[in-house]
Amino acid sequence: MTDAIIKVTDLKKVYGEFTAVDGVTFEVRQGETFGILGPNGAGKTTTMEMMEGLKMMSSGSVILDGKSVAKHVREVKSIIGVQLQASSFFDYLSLKELVETFGALYGQKVDAMELLREVQLEEKAKSQVKELSGGQKQRLSIAVALVNKPKVVFLDEPTTGLDPQARRNLWDLIGIIKKRGVTIVITTHYMEEAEVLCDRIAIMDHAKIIALDTPLNLLKLADGGATIEFHINKPIDVAGLKGLPGVDDAKSEDHVVFLKSKVPALALPAVFTFAQQAGVTIQNLQMQQPTLEDVFLKLTGRRLRE
Amino acid sequence: MTTRILTVSTLKMFVRNKQSLFFTLFMPFIFIGIFGLIGFDKPQVIDVGVVAQAPSAMTQTFIDALGKISVFKIHRGTAATEKAALQKGDRDAVFILPNDLMPNPTTTSAPVTQTVTVLQNIARAQQAQTAITILNQLLDKTTLQAAQAPTLFNVDIQSVNAKSVKYIDFLVPGIVAMSVMQMAVFSVAFVFTDYKEKGILKRLLATPMKPQQFVAAQVMTRLLVAIVQTFILLLFGMLIFHTHVYGSWLLIFLLVLLGALMFLGLGFTISGIAKTVDAVPAIANIVVFPMMFLSGIFFPTSSMPAWLQKIVTYLPLQPFATALRNVVANGDGFMAIRTNLLWMTGWAIVLITLAVFTFRFEEKRV
Ligand SMILES: Nc1ncnc2c1ncn2[C@@H]1O[C@H](COP(=O)(O)OP(=O)(O)O)[C@@H](O)[C@H]1O
Ligand SMILES: [Mg+2]
Repeated sequence: MTDAIIKVTDLKKVYGEFTAVDGVTFEVRQGETFGILGPNGAGKTTTMEMMEGLKMMSSGSVILDGKSVAKHVREVKSIIGVQLQASSFFDYLSLKELVETFGALYGQKVDAMELLREVQLEEKAKSQVKELSGGQKQRLSIAVALVNKPKVVFLDEPTTGLDPQARRNLWDLIGIIKKRGVTIVITTHYMEEAEVLCDRIAIMDHAKIIALDTPLNLLKLADGGATIEFHINKPIDVAGLKGLPGVDDAKSEDHVVFLKSKVPALALPAVFTFAQQAGVTIQNLQMQQPTLEDVFLKLTGRRLRE
Repeated sequence: MTTRILTVSTLKMFVRNKQSLFFTLFMPFIFIGIFGLIGFDKPQVIDVGVVAQAPSAMTQTFIDALGKISVFKIHRGTAATEKAALQKGDRDAVFILPNDLMPNPTTTSAPVTQTVTVLQNIARAQQAQTAITILNQLLDKTTLQAAQAPTLFNVDIQSVNAKSVKYIDFLVPGIVAMSVMQMAVFSVAFVFTDYKEKGILKRLLATPMKPQQFVAAQVMTRLLVAIVQTFILLLFGMLIFHTHVYGSWLLIFLLVLLGALMFLGLGFTISGIAKTVDAVPAIANIVVFPMMFLSGIFFPTSSMPAWLQKIVTYLPLQPFATALRNVVANGDGFMAIRTNLLWMTGWAIVLITLAVFTFRFEEKRV
């Protein structure tokens, strides 16, 4: 891949006896949104902070925009934007002053109001950080990560602890940044978030990357296919359902039927035709696509969040 | 540009932080106010109990003479009531006089030695001692008169107008030194430990800023505050309590800068040691409180035991407060305070070095 903006090679972090990151290798392409998905303690933050030049690497290397992070930390820091997993900002400064102060740290004058408008915090420009809600704090954190017009933005669990509404709000914001061609590296332990936002996802567990691909390709790893579930008004011939094109498995309990299908587009019309011919009415049909949760379960034998 | 904007932002944060303002101005205002209003300059009164059940006319004259002594406040009573008052702490000394203490000049019999019993309040030994000395003098004089001896000495007292150094003149420069110490130590120790705990320092490290730039902005802010603080407090003393600044303002500010540097070093050292903000007051107070009370801020150190005076002379606050007082209230120049300056420079070097070794901006490199 020639368009890689970040190259991570055999990156390792050892704390005494404990290996937090155990030799990970991957590339992030120019302009893509790259997700690192994994449970708590997997080593996501440690990996990211080594890429940002915040943590020393025990071994391995990170090349960002052609520069070695280990050798040219300050140059790298000046072209990246960072949102840390747990960080707060100065009290006693208004948001506007805060953004300007951070601009100064990059030796740049910034249009603070413009940045705050982008993250929908314009009307809070005169407020202080302690007056913000969780979601607003995260949006401020993103605004601050953008003060230097970075080539790469690192977001460490930006939506953890937010309510669904605030989370969606933040997804929209990340989408806007992505559209501008900024490369985004994001960690999360929400598979839905990874699916929605990321072009490619590295699944991390126990300090190692256990899978890396596009969300679609990853989903193929969960080979069970989709689950289709519907209610019927009278008994139906289950064996007949099993024989339908696209249907891999079928069973019936009470008045509920469960089907497994790798190709729902083929199975669904056949099922409706079959039911009509048998004089059975189908109600409450639901289809469950496989999720990254299933992929993680398949790969590790554990659930992502426990 | 970075350092300038950072300094301006830091200054804004400092001024908006009520806790810093408390240590910087409010507390010293209160100290100056309280101690200034108590006014230790007023002549001291010594409470003396006099016991004489049925004094003879001559003895009564002697008692009246005691009452004319301006520092004495005479209380009459029985031996029992006066002793009780002394035990309560309401008397500094109690004189128990025999009824015929004074010889009657008309009687010709040879005078007998009379005994005056004095009960002294040990808790107020200084006042009691003064009372006893005056009593002795008065009795000696009477003895001489009775013996009709010639007066050999006469003390002629003349009043001369001197530069009047009152308690408040002594107090204000000391309070200035103390509050510069408080400001420098607490504002740095609290703020930096807070930044460390909240991950703000880490966030700053994610920018290309050099940590020295940030520290420089913080130090510059505090030095500026120290100057303004000194000016306001001295002005407060001048306007409200009519204190004087006899020395050079330039020398005062130079002294304050050196003093602030010394204590900034201490502040950074403390935030280097403290893991959490909660630990700051504990550590800081161990260091700051003894200095506050033992460095002659409120009272001259001469009232302390000699060994303690010796120790305290070498702590950072004492040379700072002494030098500042000598310049402000005495008009001393550079040469007169050079020993103090030397000590302060020494402490500044030691404390800043200590800060460099303990204070870590960056995460420990594992
Ligand atoms: N400074 C440290 N010293 C020792 N262990 C650490 C340190 N920082 C992180 N770890 C450990 O490394 C592992 C990975 O942590 P982290 O990268 O924060 O995980 P994640 O972000 O995926 O939740 C965890 O088990 C954590 O306890
Ligand atoms: Mg993490």
